[in-house]
Amino acid sequence: MLARLAENLFTAGRDIERAEATARMVDITYHSLLESPSGERGDAWEQLHEVLGTVAEPDDDALARLVLDRGEPRSVLASVTRAREHVRSVRELVSTELWEVINDLHLTLATTGLARQVDEQPYHLLAGVRRACLTIYGVASDTMPRDEAWRFLALGRLLERAAMTCRLVQVHHQRLEQLSGPSRRLGLGGDPAGLEPGPGDFHQWVTVLKSAAALEAYRRRYRASMDPADVVEFLLLEPDLPRSVAFCLTGARLQLEALAAGRRSRAVREVGRASASLTYRDVSELFAMGLAPFLLDIQARMQRVDAAIAGEFFRHHPSGALHAIASP
Amino acid sequence: MSDLLTGYDHGDLFDEVFAPGGVVRPHYRELVGRVRDLTAEDLEHRERIRDAIFRTQGITFTVYGDDDGVERTFSLDLLPRIIPAEEWDVIERGVVQRVTALNRFLDDLYVGEQAAVHEGVVPRWLVHTAEGFRREAFGIPMPHGARCLVSGVDLVRDAQGTYRVLEDNLRNPSGISYVLENRAAMTRVLPRAFAAQRVRPVDHYGPMLLRALRAVAPPAAGDQPVAVVLTPGAYNAAYFEHAFLARQMGIELVEGRDLVVDEHVVSMRTTAGLQRVDVIYRRIDDDFLDPVVFRPDSLLGVPGLLSAARAGNVTIVNAVGNGVADDKAVYAFVPDLIRYYLGEEPVLPNVATYLLWDPEQRAEVLERLDELVVKPVAASGGYGLVIGPHAQDEELAALRSRIEADPRGFVAQEVVALSRHPTLVDGRIEGRHVDLRPFAIAGERVEVIPGGLTRVALRRGSLVVNSSQGGGSKDTWVLGAEAVPDPAADGG
Repeated sequence: MLARLAENLFTAGRDIERAEATARMVDITYHSLLESPSGERGDAWEQLHEVLGTVAEPDDDALARLVLDRGEPRSVLASVTRAREHVRSVRELVSTELWEVINDLHLTLATTGLARQVDEQPYHLLAGVRRACLTIYGVASDTMPRDEAWRFLALGRLLERAAMTCRLVQVHHQRLEQLSGPSRRLGLGGDPAGLEPGPGDFHQWVTVLKSAAALEAYRRRYRASMDPADVVEFLLLEPDLPRSVAFCLTGARLQLEALAAGRRSRAVREVGRASASLTYRDVSELFAMGLAPFLLDIQARMQRVDAAIAGEFFRHHPSGALHAIASP
Repeated sequence: MSDLLTGYDHGDLFDEVFAPGGVVRPHYRELVGRVRDLTAEDLEHRERIRDAIFRTQGITFTVYGDDDGVERTFSLDLLPRIIPAEEWDVIERGVVQRVTALNRFLDDLYVGEQAAVHEGVVPRWLVHTAEGFRREAFGIPMPHGARCLVSGVDLVRDAQGTYRVLEDNLRNPSGISYVLENRAAMTRVLPRAFAAQRVRPVDHYGPMLLRALRAVAPPAAGDQPVAVVLTPGAYNAAYFEHAFLARQMGIELVEGRDLVVDEHVVSMRTTAGLQRVDVIYRRIDDDFLDPVVFRPDSLLGVPGLLSAARAGNVTIVNAVGNGVADDKAVYAFVPDLIRYYLGEEPVLPNVATYLLWDPEQRAEVLERLDELVVKPVAASGGYGLVIGPHAQDEELAALRSRIEADPRGFVAQEVVALSRHPTLVDGRIEGRHVDLRPFAIAGERVEVIPGGLTRVALRRGSLVVNSSQGGGSKDTWVLGAEAVPDPAADGG
């Protein structure tokens, strides 16, 4: 398969995942604020900006900016537009059905007059975006053979999702530390379960779980308790939760192993290491070493995975003498 | 009786559906009967279905210099054009003959003895001054001499109903994807109309093209040659078609940056490393193909591609330098080329064409500028065309000085009263001018896909059918030999 197209599929997988996650988190932030004191307003949007890696600007309408702003490269619209361009470039590799869903989503978002609708009642559009993104994967999963095209699309999605969940936990964890001071640091004294979360914290962690589309699954697993250690364990280490970092990295490892087809592969080694650092870890160990440094470490590992994938699959040069002289 | 065809103005030109006196031609009876049963609302409903199909599938083209909305959906008229078997037989023979002769001419010119030039069938200076002539193409081999592997020959029908060749498109003719997509859409929008007639299928174009591409692979390629489609990229007007063709053939759609030439061998960069390429169906103009040889600022092309082709390691399709033969002044000599190379009389006549470097013809043309069509010799897509009877005085004056400054740069033709076809316009059916672009594929032999792209000028009275100039299209049905009902059995 053409290296450029593989990269386009990989990027499209990332962008679709990002569009879905952004729509979901914007929706959750917006609606959670409806029932919160107005002082928390700026705070919550700022936190969301941090998770998404966007920069808040003064007097910014966060909602408008994150959903329909073409000038914000990480907005839902920009992500969907890019994904559509990339899928368009690989139309001969993906099913027609997949193209139709993503093209429809793009047409919907490009409709004029949408900004007012979003300002008045964002739920409809945001839910629509999420449903469309899920449909894209459903359609891809049901219509595409498990070939390279499928694997790169899935790989991009899994790695983006792992990174997003990491940042989500990281940002909220930092915020809680700032709010409550070091004495309430998670896992202090090696007994995380002994911590009594306050009502504000409770709200925070519910938002985190919702943001990861994991609240219902969490409740089925842990019942009514809202223990920070449980939440962290669930979102980082749970092998069976589709948005946990461990789940995503294991999935990414399987895709890369199939793509490497038995060759020795740096990408497989890097993703294997990253994945193993979660798979064989107990949650108390995370707290013992400190959650913040752990999250930084896992993110650095994921960056090495990205670099290894680019070097191994996307950039090839001829080995001929002339080319060898030209490129160091 | 009141229906959509009541009050249809048959006009005094050749109408595809109605013979003089308003009698429906036999091969249209079935369709006209069906249209008479439809209301304007029915047709509008079907138009909406069609638009939804096209928009969802992203069947679009790009118009250069148009700011709002980069992409437009191609406009397909719901009333198909129907060609009876015996008419198609003439068209098919004529197109095969013409493409065969043009291939012989080009192969002779670039790798042969240049016999036609030596013997004065075409003036040597004319060939050498053609904008599409490429010295760089000398000596580049083409298996089977299939230099025009894909060609689109534009036909029009004059007031007598005679099919004439308006121009040849031998470089990168586009439109075949619309032929296939129009057909697919029509079978969904008007399924019953198909069931009643024996319409010849067009969907074997992809396999046919792939077979031809493999047939022209270099001898060294072995029996499983690798063919690719080379596109300028997603922002090209015809990108949809490039992707469509790659998908139809199941081969890679590559851009210049995906290819690399090393030791005169072309490879594409894949996820598993470099893979050798044997045949390139390029949809990039000659000028942008190889920055080493042509425009050095081209980022679309592949450095070293031409040297690889000359070394016989890769075949470039269509061949480099074909533009010399679809130059509109060289066009005037095609009937002579057919006689010279094939020893046959042309099946399809040209449109009467005046060559403006000839002082006598030029003088006559300048007298009658307001009655003639003037075209730049190297342009395509209807760009730069001036239709005398529709032009303002200032426009004609400017044209006159351009012709006098560069008489080789233009040809003049008699205005052909293009045939008209009933067409749905704003909920009514009116006559609009149409042309026809059949597509020929030359591999081991020349074949023509039944039908082709019927383009329709949507503005009333307009003679310009190009999609870039606001034209639409019609599905084109070639009927099987036994499809026309016997008039006697039909009761007239």
